[in-house]
Amino acid sequence: MRGDGDTPALLELDGVGKSFGGVAAVADLSFAVPTGSVMGLMGPNGAGKTTVINLITGLLGFDRGHIRFDGAEIGGAAAHRIAARGIARTYQNVRLFSGMTALEQVLAGGFLRRGTSLIASFLGTPASRAARARSLAEARHLLDRVRLAHRADVLAETLSYGEQRRIEIARALGAHPRLLLLDEPTAGMNAAESAAIGGLVHELRDAGLTVLMVEHNVRLVTDFCDHVAVMSFGRKLTEGTPAACLAHPEVQAAYFGRSGDAERIRALR
Amino acid sequence: MLADLWAAYQSSVGFAMVNVFFALSTYAVLSAGVLSFASVSYAAFGGFIGAQLVLNTGISPLLALPVSAVAGALLAYAVALLFLRLDGHWMALASLALVLMTRVVVLNAPTLTGGVNGLSLPVDLSLATLTVLLLLLMLVFHRLSGSWYGIAVRAVREDPAVAASLGMPARRLQTIAFVISGAVGGAGGMLLAAMLQFISPDTYFINIAFTMIAAVVLGGSYHWAGAVAGAFVFTALPVVMQAVLPQIQDVANGAALLAIMVFLPRGLIDPRAWRLRHAR
Repeated sequence: MRGDGDTPALLELDGVGKSFGGVAAVADLSFAVPTGSVMGLMGPNGAGKTTVINLITGLLGFDRGHIRFDGAEIGGAAAHRIAARGIARTYQNVRLFSGMTALEQVLAGGFLRRGTSLIASFLGTPASRAARARSLAEARHLLDRVRLAHRADVLAETLSYGEQRRIEIARALGAHPRLLLLDEPTAGMNAAESAAIGGLVHELRDAGLTVLMVEHNVRLVTDFCDHVAVMSFGRKLTEGTPAACLAHPEVQAAYFGRSGDAERIRALR
Repeated sequence: MLADLWAAYQSSVGFAMVNVFFALSTYAVLSAGVLSFASVSYAAFGGFIGAQLVLNTGISPLLALPVSAVAGALLAYAVALLFLRLDGHWMALASLALVLMTRVVVLNAPTLTGGVNGLSLPVDLSLATLTVLLLLLMLVFHRLSGSWYGIAVRAVREDPAVAASLGMPARRLQTIAFVISGAVGGAGGMLLAAMLQFISPDTYFINIAFTMIAAVVLGGSYHWAGAVAGAFVFTALPVVMQAVLPQIQDVANGAALLAIMVFLPRGLIDPRAWRLRHAR
């Protein structure tokens, strides 16, 4: 499977299915995220978008199908191994570590790039101290990138919601992922903050990162996504450019509840 | 006057220091998100092996100490392999079962443990030596908490799923925590044996489990210094109460412990509270 045009896919879902006690949360889902693109995953609440993120990152196992990252099957692998392959994520409800400062959160995100062993780090060998200094400098740089350098030593849980979301993005970037999964990165943000997140996502894409973004904000999706897949009731409704997807009648119905609501409800019965 | 006071209480200071070993052994795993009572078993294993080594070869207890630590670490590694697959509560219960089993095993292995009669260990452990060992131990925990291991285990404790998505192998980090806990517990068991100069199946039993959990809860389980402070307070409190309020010492002791838990639910040493204050 390929992404749009000639770009090879970095991530491919192929017939993925996941049921919770007989209820299909995700059914026969296939799509591909082209390398170096920003892909949007849309759909009404309960469509299964977050479940998809959880399946990709190994937080949940799936029942059928394949998930391939850079051509290799990652289905069934442990979450920390999937992360080590180069997939990082944020969470729909911010999940920062309690009791850690903003800087420590981002340092934790750099775990995979610690570049020193436990023994060396414990003994404080020159090499481990250099690695530590590099990690710290990098964490500060990432905080700066999300414009929170001035908050480095503040307990992250005391920051505003928008700031916490940005720390989560910085933490996810700490491992230098190749694929970043953003689960509603602008939820609870105002228009200016949302646009800033969109701008950051473009910067990251231009630096070579591939992004898959679950997003409700139609404006953000049209402005910042190269490609969109729309889900409804665990299935893919359609896929294509943002404009084409939003114009699709079933998307209009499923997402905005505008046209043909009555037939739709009748069809479901 | 001061010399008398010191003479009266120096053994309490010694026991407080040994209790720090047990408290830090518990803290080591708790800091990685695992509640385990198994430190008692590491202490028994390290204590009896160290005591036998001293009795059979005549080496100084200080030389036996590393052997006790290694013995404790090996036992802890086995415990981690067997028990870490269990979820929280079950892990704690299984470790409690291990403590109960330990006593039975100790009773029924007289060649190693002396059985019901226990073992006499005529050695001398000075308070100065104990102080140096304790400072070394604190240095170890200070270094650990400042290394990437310190941040990683905190992450695993706070949210294992998020930690895994950052590439942290939770199970492996917790296994390392167990090995550290075992080494510290095994060493503590040997030091207790040297302090008491006599060990029996009852030396390493529920009372130690109670002491170390209370010390960590009291002192705070979010910083290694909490375990140190907790062990000292928990050991000193009954002694102080006996001196100050001899008629109602048990009630006063209980009331003081309750007061600390009610008013400082995260313990005496709470880095998060400091940071919150710092943030204002």
